[in-house]
Amino acid sequence: MLELRLVQGSLLKKVMESLKDLVNDANFDCSATGFSLQAMDSSHVALVALLLRSEGFEHYRCDRNISMGMKLENLTKILKCAGNDDIITIKGDDGGDTVTFMFESPSQDKIADFEMKLMDIDSEHLGIPDAEYQAIVRMPSAEFARICKDLSSIGDTVVISVTKEGVKFSTKGDIGTANIVCRQNTTVDKPEEATVIEMQEPVSLTFALRYMNSFTKATPLSNTVTISLSSELPVVVEYKIAEMGYIRFYLAPKIEEDEDDTKPQV
Amino acid sequence: MGIKGLTKLLADNAPKCMKEQKFESYFGRKIAIDASMSIYQFLIVVGRTGTEMLTNESGEVTSHLQGLFNRTIRLLEAGLKPVYVFDGKPPDLKKQELAKRYSKREDATEDLAAAIETGDKDDIEKFSKRTVKVTKQHNDDCKKLLRLMGVPVVEAPSEAEAECAALCKNQKVYAVASEDMDSLTFGAPKFLRHLMDPASRKIPVMEFDVLKILEELNLTMDQFIDLCILSGCDYCESIRGIGGQTALKLIRQHGSIEGIIENINKERYQIPESWPYEEARRLFKEPLVTANDQQPELKWSPPDEEGLVAFLVTENGFNSDRVTKAVEKIKAAKNKSSQGRLESFFKPVASDSVPLKRKDAPAKATKETAKKRNTGGSKLRWSTPFWQLVQYWLL
Repeated sequence: MLELRLVQGSLLKKVMESLKDLVNDANFDCSATGFSLQAMDSSHVALVALLLRSEGFEHYRCDRNISMGMKLENLTKILKCAGNDDIITIKGDDGGDTVTFMFESPSQDKIADFEMKLMDIDSEHLGIPDAEYQAIVRMPSAEFARICKDLSSIGDTVVISVTKEGVKFSTKGDIGTANIVCRQNTTVDKPEEATVIEMQEPVSLTFALRYMNSFTKATPLSNTVTISLSSELPVVVEYKIAEMGYIRFYLAPKIEEDEDDTKPQV
Repeated sequence: MGIKGLTKLLADNAPKCMKEQKFESYFGRKIAIDASMSIYQFLIVVGRTGTEMLTNESGEVTSHLQGLFNRTIRLLEAGLKPVYVFDGKPPDLKKQELAKRYSKREDATEDLAAAIETGDKDDIEKFSKRTVKVTKQHNDDCKKLLRLMGVPVVEAPSEAEAECAALCKNQKVYAVASEDMDSLTFGAPKFLRHLMDPASRKIPVMEFDVLKILEELNLTMDQFIDLCILSGCDYCESIRGIGGQTALKLIRQHGSIEGIIENINKERYQIPESWPYEEARRLFKEPLVTANDQQPELKWSPPDEEGLVAFLVTENGFNSDRVTKAVEKIKAAKNKSSQGRLESFFKPVASDSVPLKRKDAPAKATKETAKKRNTGGSKLRWSTPFWQLVQYWLL
């Protein structure tokens, strides 16, 4: 038996918008602690981890750990039918092969029920170790989205380098190069407009911009984004979800070729 | 070539062993390819009208070079690292099969002559395709082209399929790509079909996992090999009246070919008089391949631009602009293979959640997927005219 009631239904809509370009189908896991999802894109370069803690729901009942396989395209279709102010309730019965979404308008004068068939999805669950990151950058999420968008009109990859001076995003392509530097800036009126850099040691990594751009679809969820970098690990791009959880994107870096592949040109 | 009806058998009985993947998702992966099969395909399809084929100024056929060049560039552009494996000496058992093909080719040559006389265009086309033979010269041309492109070439001591599988077992490559289901019988841990189909066909790559096959069919590798022999392989005949589905049932019941021979109704099923199934089994199980420590290091190097221009443009009459552009493409492609994968950082763990659905509807779900796979995958493909032809010619 599963019953989750989320007053801020728009959150779920926004979450789906941020996922659906990256992942085709995924298992949603429910446990006593919360509602979560982990999924990789088809080429296994990027991973998304979503958590909505049980405390964030108005009502949360989940008797045992269960997972529900869904095609995100279909889920998005259904969630599009919910109004932005609607209260969303997710219901599932033990042994059933469907999940029900109930949308209640704030004034309670309209109630919609959508039942969706579940799918069998074979997905590998990856263990993500807790790690100390060499550099953590927190900046306005809209700023980050803008940078990714701008750079992708020049090149395919972005080099993110963090030094004491700030964080530098650079790319190069056929038409030329681009460099964008954001300096640490904590003297702003609103805390969400600050750029904060915590750095243990300088780090520089290369990533495919295509994925970064897809991550920034989560921008409506949060005013700030946190980017954690380590030379040995995939980058983590995290958006907090209104006190109740987060959506984290992991992206494997581009790696220098093996030595034997970089022989001088004949 | 291949195992009769294995794709369908697997789709029906072990649907989880096959996964559709996007061609693009294989970037950075090392893939072993059976070169002989590819060259044969090119000779049949590339640039052919009737008995006319793509040739250079001195009249030598260049279809294989054109095909191989374009296909290899497509693989490199997607960031894949192909290795081409060439056939060595065929095993004795296969000679029978080869002799059969040879005589078919003789027949086709006669038919072709007749067709040319009567001037029936369709027949000329049909029979001239059937007279195609891969010669040593073709193979040598292709090896030279690949080396110039900086793509590694492996010469198998015997069957290329077996060598591909061995490379994969020894983790020298990620997977074997072929249209020939033999690769699974040789035990290639990962096997890709349709990887080299032209992009225009839009057929997803089908990835087979041998371990999953064994798990789903609930067979050991030895039993799986027996199943393939019974279904019909290149090395020996099969028992009349026993196809894949019956073979699977019998193997599950009796454990091995020996067990089946002892137990089946001899009147209903006639066992061929001289039936070297043991020999065939040995060829699948312990084929003649290069030992792990003898296998050369596989290296992908930058293309030799001058060499390629000299070989393709000067010797074989390729368009110079196209070759130069292609070389640029190869160089640009190097960048693609550098993308890392998450698996190299994070390891899979078991999930403790129970699926809400699977619990009470497993049978239904499997059947549905099987059906879907079946119609979407093998059937469609084998019904295209080209493959009908190849099938007719090979079987």
